[in-house]
Amino acid sequence: MEGRPAANKEEMYNSLKEVSEILRYKELLRNLVSTDIKVRYKRSVLGFIWVMLNPLLIMLVLYIVFSTLFKVSVVYILSGIIVWNFFSQSTSTALGSFINNSNLIKKVYLPKAIFPLSVILSAMVNFAFSLIPLFIILSITGLNFSPYLLLLPVVLIMIALFSFGVSLIVSTLTVFFHDTKYIYEVSLLAWMYMTPVFYPESIIPGKFSFIFHLNPNYYYLSTFRAALSPEVPFMPEKLLYGFLFSILTLIAGWIFYNRNRDRIVYYL
Amino acid sequence: MNDLMIKIDGVSLKYRLARERPGTLQEFIVRRLKGKRVNYEDFWALRDINLEVRKGETLGLIGPNGAGKSTLLKVVAGILIPVQGELAVNGKIAPLIELGAGFNAELIGKENIYLNSAILGLSRKEIDGRFGRILEFSELGEFIYSPLKSYSSGMVARLGFSIATEVDPDILIIDEILSVGDEHFRNKCDARIKSFKERGVTILFVSHSMNDIKRLCDRAVCLEHGKIAFEGNSAEVVDFYVKSLNGDRR
Repeated sequence: MEGRPAANKEEMYNSLKEVSEILRYKELLRNLVSTDIKVRYKRSVLGFIWVMLNPLLIMLVLYIVFSTLFKVSVVYILSGIIVWNFFSQSTSTALGSFINNSNLIKKVYLPKAIFPLSVILSAMVNFAFSLIPLFIILSITGLNFSPYLLLLPVVLIMIALFSFGVSLIVSTLTVFFHDTKYIYEVSLLAWMYMTPVFYPESIIPGKFSFIFHLNPNYYYLSTFRAALSPEVPFMPEKLLYGFLFSILTLIAGWIFYNRNRDRIVYYL
Repeated sequence: MNDLMIKIDGVSLKYRLARERPGTLQEFIVRRLKGKRVNYEDFWALRDINLEVRKGETLGLIGPNGAGKSTLLKVVAGILIPVQGELAVNGKIAPLIELGAGFNAELIGKENIYLNSAILGLSRKEIDGRFGRILEFSELGEFIYSPLKSYSSGMVARLGFSIATEVDPDILIIDEILSVGDEHFRNKCDARIKSFKERGVTILFVSHSMNDIKRLCDRAVCLEHGKIAFEGNSAEVVDFYVKSLNGDRR
């Protein structure tokens, strides 16, 4: 993928223009998100409840399977699932967003980034719903209403920014390279095992703990768990690293998308 | 005075047809590692197009299939970015390149109006204000509360046209969609386009119907192989094109 040697100023200007275009199309954004929610829940009575039921059921299975091996609580596993699902599902769905909306993109002018962005926003809505069963369980097992709870929206924003950055990269890549989807699927699987979703951090021997430290989702998950339970200590460095990863990935994704966005329509 | 609505200056556009384009990431990496270069073949869809359209003008674009008419419209609409040249557009564009872009069959007519209008760049307030007129023009009545999948293709087209023309653009781009619908609907479309002309809306019109071109357009341009073959008033250009089709070129 070669690029023209673009003047940096022009590139920055184009990037910023794209942001203002997305804001100009905010009604469309609102529409895409509400359409997604409506279509998802319209047909099924269970639809609305499924968002909450699904992570619960997965958690149940994992808990039954692993509870003798790992000494982890129900809340630990559920929180891991909720956070991991946000990242994996939103990025996987956003990956195909340009291709799925190819007829629109080819017929009407649109700031294309709006598609992956709407996926992330929808995922944030689902995330909020899936917190309900979590809080129900927490109130049963004894929720500690500490001020750390305020970290929850912060974590959500960080994961959303990070996911959006990743989404911009994979969605753009897929347009040019069709096998991106399969490579990403496999990568996600490996990534999940490198994140302490259903196993405690402690079982990983010290010399391998660097794997966690290179994994942005580790920071988000740790902070999320720290917000919910006093057993997990809150470490400000984790918040900071998480934040850094979010911003850097968002910038990298934004640059990558903007550099290639004019060529996208030719490959759809 | 600045009544120049569209200025197309030396615009060229190419499609890159890679002979052995690496369609997969795997191939791409392997190639890079092997130091192979990809053979590209460029298809120039538009070549050095220079065109100016003034406010209130209705410009017709004609030419054989593959000449670049739709491509040129897409450049003006901002969908395709030319590799060379400059495009300057003064005002809001409503493209009638595909009616009902983004229509979702699961949603009802009203929801699709909001969705489609948003795709065309309208704000919620603007859509609220126009909803009544859209409904009226489409003549869909109570069907507006039924899901789109229950509509006939004519109904879908009517809805799409109603929405697109309520956008209230400065520049209207029409790409061969006027052939949709029955006589009654076509007359309504005609009347609406005429009212746009009266209001001073600039129109770019692509059609294969020479009658429509002569009837609706002041000026016309004939494209061939991505270049402007002839430009002038619509009767002249239609003449030129028809003659060239019959193998008799001036």
